[in-house]
Amino acid sequence: MNAILIATLVIAAVGAAAALALAIADKYLSVKEDPRIGLVTAALPGANCGGCGFAGCDGYARALVAGNAANGACAPGGPAVAAEIAKILGVEATATERRVALVKCCGTRSEALRVGDYNGICDCASAAATAGGDKGCRYGCLGYGACANVCPKHAIRVEDGLAIVDKRLCIGCGKCVSACPRRLIELVPASATIHVLCANPLKGPEVTKVCGVGCIGCHLCEKNSGGKEANHFTFDGFLAKVNYSNPPEDVTVVAKCPRKCIREDAHFETGA
Amino acid sequence: MRYLVIIVGAVLVNNFVLNRFLGCCPFLGVSKKTETALGMSGAVVFVMTMASAVTWCLDRFLLAPLGLGYIHTLAFILVIASLVQFIDIAMKRFMPPLHAALGIFLPLITTNCAVLGVAELNTKNGTPFFESVLFSFAAALGFGFALVLFSGIREKLAHADPPRCFRGVAIALVTAGLLSLAFMGFSGLVKTPY
Amino acid sequence: MKTVKSPFQFPGGVHPRYNKDLTEEKPIVDLPLPTTLAISMGQHLGAPAKCLVKPGDHVGLGQLIGEKSGFISANVHASASGTVKAVEKRPGPTGNLADAVILETDQDQTDTSAFMPPLDWEKASREELLARVEAAGICGMGGAGFPTSVKLNPPPDKHCEYLILNGAECEPYLTADCRMMMEHADRIRRGVETMRRILGGPAVRIAIENNKPAAIAAMEKAFADASGDVEIVVLPTLYPQGSEKHQIYATVGRVVPDGALPIAVGCVVENVGTAAAIADAVDSGMPLVRRVTTVSGDGIVEPKNVRAPVGTSYADLAAFCGGERGNVRKVISGGPMMGFTVPSLAIATTKTTSGLLFLTDASVFQYSSNPCIGCGRCLRACPMGLDPSAISCAVEAGDVADAEARGVMNCIECGACSFGCPAYRSITHFCRRAKISIRARLAAEKAKAAKKG
Repeated sequence: MNAILIATLVIAAVGAAAALALAIADKYLSVKEDPRIGLVTAALPGANCGGCGFAGCDGYARALVAGNAANGACAPGGPAVAAEIAKILGVEATATERRVALVKCCGTRSEALRVGDYNGICDCASAAATAGGDKGCRYGCLGYGACANVCPKHAIRVEDGLAIVDKRLCIGCGKCVSACPRRLIELVPASATIHVLCANPLKGPEVTKVCGVGCIGCHLCEKNSGGKEANHFTFDGFLAKVNYSNPPEDVTVVAKCPRKCIREDAHFETGA
Repeated sequence: MRYLVIIVGAVLVNNFVLNRFLGCCPFLGVSKKTETALGMSGAVVFVMTMASAVTWCLDRFLLAPLGLGYIHTLAFILVIASLVQFIDIAMKRFMPPLHAALGIFLPLITTNCAVLGVAELNTKNGTPFFESVLFSFAAALGFGFALVLFSGIREKLAHADPPRCFRGVAIALVTAGLLSLAFMGFSGLVKTPY
Repeated sequence: MKTVKSPFQFPGGVHPRYNKDLTEEKPIVDLPLPTTLAISMGQHLGAPAKCLVKPGDHVGLGQLIGEKSGFISANVHASASGTVKAVEKRPGPTGNLADAVILETDQDQTDTSAFMPPLDWEKASREELLARVEAAGICGMGGAGFPTSVKLNPPPDKHCEYLILNGAECEPYLTADCRMMMEHADRIRRGVETMRRILGGPAVRIAIENNKPAAIAAMEKAFADASGDVEIVVLPTLYPQGSEKHQIYATVGRVVPDGALPIAVGCVVENVGTAAAIADAVDSGMPLVRRVTTVSGDGIVEPKNVRAPVGTSYADLAAFCGGERGNVRKVISGGPMMGFTVPSLAIATTKTTSGLLFLTDASVFQYSSNPCIGCGRCLRACPMGLDPSAISCAVEAGDVADAEARGVMNCIECGACSFGCPAYRSITHFCRRAKISIRARLAAEKAKAAKKG
């Protein structure tokens, strides 16, 4: 009995001494950290995708609490997480719509002209730096998968020399946008379903020389969606662009395009 | 001469992580980059040496006289845990980047069987104070040596292209096994006293 | 003046098959004037020249058609008298677009009224000579195209001790510089003397590879009575002997620090073609409007060393040399190690086009890259002392930061590493890819800092 008592007392004493030492250390040596950092980190999705521009969710949380970052930069979190963070930080929440990536090209290997055999590393920036790329169109997708390699959600696949984004998997982090050497990828509202898949602003004959499905700027899409007043399409040189703040809703404009470069969303998901 | 034999024995012949297989968790966890591996080695050297010094004194002056030798494991764990906690607080204050880099692995040294192992070994061998501390220091050096070696290999492995099933920890474990095999070559180099 | 053997040798380097026998013995021939020329505003290193003409203008031979814009820039002149048909964007050999003046040439090219007045190189002042080099639009004709007037005018705190004349021509197939030395050694001598005066009398080292004995003999004869410290340094035939930094080391034993220019160690390196162009600019007032290009390879009927006006299309050069023969798989502008593969012959020559190669199936082969086998051949070959295998593995795995830490920004993209790789890895390509990422990151950081400040 005595032995057990002594043993318990001794261990208790050692424990108490250690606890005291730690308490003193905590008082004089601890680093005060803002508790909000932990709360914000917990609220963020934890994907560590880097889409906000910071190293990881923890980095973004620290920047938010320190006031060095704007709320709403977290694309995977979306408006729900932004609202929660606003509550933690005690600020107003701003509404943001979900955005997804779109590769603005539909020139597959079968449709677009190739001007040579590229025999180098399988990377778009390298191909673009070699004689301007092996595609006749200087604005089109090279299809070597730089965007697909950098996507944290594997939402991009390359089919027949063309990159296609699966809207359902895309979190809108924007890594593919910076990876594309031709600046071909744009973040568009997830609700839009009709897109012009071309980025070549050159005149019609120049485009038809290098691609079977490039936009020639014929303005038929504009005419078939209510004309200029409806303002569903804008034009950059001889290139049509969907006005995403007022997108077209009538899908007949897809069939009416003579070049077949206006596509509907279904194309991206099923690969049809 | 005896001290040299102890050092060589602990670092090469009976390397704590590659021969005794103690402390594998931080070995695999912190060996991805050589800078963090070096930092971790420093932390382990400090903890192991201090821990063995304190536990030796605890055993000699408190537990043994009271006949409580059988409870040394519990007491040692208590001391080691508090010591590591103390180091955690001190490192966060004085060396924040290293603290951020080591992350979860700093408190992991607490449940690290290598630290407890060396304390237990000292008790078992019954060596005098200086020899116990030297043995722990050498053991920690051996741990650090293996860790830094492994981190160098892992940095190169990161750029390699193994089959998908081997990516990440799998190929690292295979490599650790091969490194352990290599260290077997040191057996019989010196006749260690224990 | 004495001839010496190179006292130092840089580490690394490779020995490709040279195939210079196709054009070594062929004297330089003039191309009959083409009907159209496309003269690029961006054919030199630095900011493109500002175009001064518009469609419909008539220009004379040697007339200024592009003005230098900025400190590192050069003038561009009309390579023939003719009428400007258009000013439009045309791709260069790298694929980059630049404004080009499309000129329809006249039949009569005898009017030289647009030339500058001749200068006496011995009597004119240093400033006058430098101004003449600048006005003539002379840039490095070895391939880099660095504006010569900037190189010959070092900042006041830097002093030029050695003027090194680059007659190495280490690329396979190319013999333009070799023929220049054999046929125009006296012009080169005058160019060198002019540069010497501009730089304040440095010692002169003329570097020539030992596979050009006739050129060495010709240069020895031309420089026999040269005053002062002039030496012809015979270099071992090794690629990349013609690289600026390596040539400096091989001739005078000085190492240019990372990221610095040769003037940091008191050296200025100029190509023999540039020296001859300077002589022309001073003696007859003719700006840089023509150059010698080696048209060679097993895919061209008659390999030749052609002197053609700047802006000649590759198609015209090919036609002059008998046209293509066999199944031409690759057309390279420049040399096969560091030149650029071009997708069409519609590209025009510039002041720096030293070669045009037509290679058939027998000379090229397509390969697929395999994993690194760790043989170390690339390490032995790298003249900059880098670790190409580690860099290529890092870039392949996406770790550009590691490549940067291993010094990939010092890579001169000579291609010696890829040349010897038994696993057919595109090592130089990986290095180039890393540099693209690093430059983009540095540009973004600079823009961010500029925005903040």
